[in-house]
Amino acid sequence: MMLAAGQRSTRVPARAGGLLLLGVALVVVLFFSITVGARPIALGDVLAAITAPDPDSTTHRIILELRLPRTLVGLLVGAALGLAGAILQGATRNPLADPGLLGIQSGATLCVVLGISVFGITTLSGYVWLAFLGAGIAAVAVYLIASMGREGATPVKLALAGAAVTAALGSITSAILITSVETLDQIRFWQVGALTGRTMDILAQVAPFLLLGIALALTTGRILDGLAMGDDVARGLGQRVQLNRAFAGLAAVILAGAAVAAAGPIAFVGLTIPHVARAMAGPNYRWILPYSMLLGPILLLGADIIGRVIVPPGELQVGIVTAAIGAPFFIAFVRRRKLAEL
Amino acid sequence: MNVNVQFTPATTVAVARHRLRSRHRLVSAGLALLVLALEAVALTIGDYPLPVAEVVTSLLSPFTGVTDPASDFIVLGVRLPRAITGLLAGAALGLSGVIFQTVLRNPLASPDIVGITTGASSAAVVAIIVFHATGLTIAISATGGAVLIAALIYALSWRGGVTPYRLVLVGIGMAAIAAAITSYLFTRARIFEVQQALAWLTGSLNGASFDNLGPLALGLLVLGPVAAILYRPLASLELGDDAAKALGTRVEVTRLGTLLVAVVLAAFATATVGPIAFVAFAAGPVARRLLGPAGNALLPSALVGAAVTISADLIAQHALGRNQLPAGVVTGAIGALFLIYLLAAANRSGRGG
Amino acid sequence: MFRSIFAAALALGFAATSALAAEWTYTDGSGNTITLDHVPTRIVMHANTAAGLIPLGIRPVGIYVDAPVAEDKSLQGLDLTGIEIVGEGWGEIDIERVAALKPDLVLAEWWPLQKAFSGLEGGAGTTSEKIVQIAPVTGPTQGASILQLISDYETLAASLGADLSASGITADKAAFEASLAGFKAAVAAKPNLTVLPVWAGTDALYVAATEGSSELRDFASWGLKLMTPEVAGDRGYWETLSWEQADKYQPDLLIVDNRSDATMETAEAQPMWTAMKAAAAGQVADWPAFWLRNYRAYAGALDELTAAIEAADENLTN
Repeated sequence: MMLAAGQRSTRVPARAGGLLLLGVALVVVLFFSITVGARPIALGDVLAAITAPDPDSTTHRIILELRLPRTLVGLLVGAALGLAGAILQGATRNPLADPGLLGIQSGATLCVVLGISVFGITTLSGYVWLAFLGAGIAAVAVYLIASMGREGATPVKLALAGAAVTAALGSITSAILITSVETLDQIRFWQVGALTGRTMDILAQVAPFLLLGIALALTTGRILDGLAMGDDVARGLGQRVQLNRAFAGLAAVILAGAAVAAAGPIAFVGLTIPHVARAMAGPNYRWILPYSMLLGPILLLGADIIGRVIVPPGELQVGIVTAAIGAPFFIAFVRRRKLAEL
Repeated sequence: MNVNVQFTPATTVAVARHRLRSRHRLVSAGLALLVLALEAVALTIGDYPLPVAEVVTSLLSPFTGVTDPASDFIVLGVRLPRAITGLLAGAALGLSGVIFQTVLRNPLASPDIVGITTGASSAAVVAIIVFHATGLTIAISATGGAVLIAALIYALSWRGGVTPYRLVLVGIGMAAIAAAITSYLFTRARIFEVQQALAWLTGSLNGASFDNLGPLALGLLVLGPVAAILYRPLASLELGDDAAKALGTRVEVTRLGTLLVAVVLAAFATATVGPIAFVAFAAGPVARRLLGPAGNALLPSALVGAAVTISADLIAQHALGRNQLPAGVVTGAIGALFLIYLLAAANRSGRGG
Repeated sequence: MFRSIFAAALALGFAATSALAAEWTYTDGSGNTITLDHVPTRIVMHANTAAGLIPLGIRPVGIYVDAPVAEDKSLQGLDLTGIEIVGEGWGEIDIERVAALKPDLVLAEWWPLQKAFSGLEGGAGTTSEKIVQIAPVTGPTQGASILQLISDYETLAASLGADLSASGITADKAAFEASLAGFKAAVAAKPNLTVLPVWAGTDALYVAATEGSSELRDFASWGLKLMTPEVAGDRGYWETLSWEQADKYQPDLLIVDNRSDATMETAEAQPMWTAMKAAAAGQVADWPAFWLRNYRAYAGALDELTAAIEAADENLTN
């Protein structure tokens, strides 16, 4: 990208300003996430719950034990999904890439299903480690398969290997679900992707990985910009393409694996957010990444809030709302924008 | 003896073309034989003990008039419809998949990913869970769903024309919506309805019967040749829209026509057996690996699709002891393994992705 | 002369036995009447029907189950030796294995809402069409009362040749009557006791409507005060409550769907479970949801409920 001498100084403030605006929007969303829910709670009560919690008060318990962990999990998971999607789209140069691409979500699901059917694990905190394990194994398998051969893991081979592994794992999962109604009964709720039932101890389990992943991800901007030029050009410029792609992939897997472990497979966020981020921030990954990091939770928590109030007295799971909102928005977006092929 | 052959460009091209055509013939013939062998196996093995001689007698009974109700029911009423259904559904899916991948110029594109089968599945799940539909109604809903979602995808990607890029992206968006509808219904339904829906969603050939095969058989019979006719303009699309136009191809018409063929094939296959995973996705790449650098992949893809489906059904029925699984569960695993193997084999010899 | 008398006696004898070889008819909820020229002896059954008939002395030659046998609550505790399992997944009945058993009859419950027999709903491809070609399909109707269903099974068993006066069967029935008496007494002794039947998921708490469950309707008819949800979506079966609203209903006793152990574990893992005073006080019992089919199982379930009712404080939520 060739910039004239004076251009850079006007673009950075604009993009930084955009980031700031998003930050404000995020704070607003966080506020609503704590104050809005299936049960109407007065603002005064919310403040009291945070400043002077009363363990016997039901409303205080709702704020502290349900909404607060849910908000925090949504914040971290949204950021993780947005970042993972951006990294994967950049590293594979495929606009269709999303955290499900490397088999991450199907690996996590299969491991959880095995945990339920073979080991009888039934609690969400039990699922967390299983999901993480499955995500990691699947991603490694995909990477290894795609790396076979002289050229190593090219984008197309990664995509194909990812789809192959996803299908294989999906088959095994279906086989288990067909033959075990109990497992099916458990998994059909987890599989949708939800923030309900996520308590503080689940947050404590996944937070370290999510934070680690976010930190790693934010350092991959330069790598992704390099990869975006194409493998040959990047190599010509002295970049170690395979290593860089592997490192970026690692960050994405940690993020996506932890996200699935925390909230189940929420597919749409990782796919749409990078496109929006790119539209707002331009093609430079050093900006796309932080934009994705803020846009992700805005979408996820926004969807969660909508899901809480749209079908009283029940709730609609966030995975369904993100698809319902995200997909039409994405389609409108695809139609309107002139999208450059990556 | 010294043979002085002039290697003019024309000769080189002719020799190359001949080699490709022979390879194409070889691969197609080999695949056809494989499919026939698999069909034979499907007809002779099963839980109801029948010696091969009786199977043959039953198969010939419509012509010879020598009937035996018990073995005729098993061979002509259970195994034969199942084997033929597997053949036709697999062929339709394989053909559909390779057309999608060619038109959309993306190896990830298949009716599954671009939302066609997801749309069919969603419609079927709505029919099962919301309207308590059975049998034919589910099939009709599935077809309707596939066609509706395809129309929506096409319409939404139209901006003075349709680019593959936009089609795929919009398709993924629509697939996500359809999948969300399915997920939502899964969480709202009673568990046995969820089982019902899941059984349908996994794609099964159990209980296949000739009554249901009409649309699928007719579809293949009519659309197979249509696809073959459209092959040359279709192949030129792979070079890019501008190059194709330069070659005289009517790009939008070809795209729409071939996609229509692919959608209808996928819709009928899904309506008949449910969405059998991965056959449409894997058949094209597998066929192309076998064919080498160039060649008309339509027939080989159809044959690969049929082979995968039939063998998956055989494994699903017999390989797990007492338990019988739906075929869709195994097609995913087989198709994936086969594709991984071929990816690895091709990669090692340097002809990577 | 003796020869003609002898011949006549033989002829009479044959006539008598062929009159004894009675027909067997059964009319089911779908409006069909099945007639066979002999009492069927080789029967393939759905798991729930087997759970109804095996304790009454009618053993099938094959059973098809919607899930693995180990997971099917209705089959727990039954002796299944010698019975072939011909399907362990919904929609995956092995047609060839059923044909190899050469059955006279297939028995399953008729569900009026779905207009289908258990496991043979049309969604399972056309498995039902194939099965019907092997042997006729019929069975009792799922209705408003488990007690009525068990009684229907008794009638069916008797027509199939069961001896309902056998000691095992009468003992089971007597035990059930005793358990029922105990249950009614416990309920009568605590007129203020309110009960809420639920299913717990991580996403929501599901409150069951009495009308949707045969055994809940039985309990209600015996005096149990079941709370009914206000808004019952899903054709009147459940009300879905966000966990934030979990304390909308405050019963004295909670009964939890016990088809799976996971349900209770999930319930206890939710922070808002104890927002219901009954849960906080430990007044929680099992609800045998949708799987009771015989006197022995029913007696056991009633005994457990009776104990929970007797131990509960009926004025917990007033």
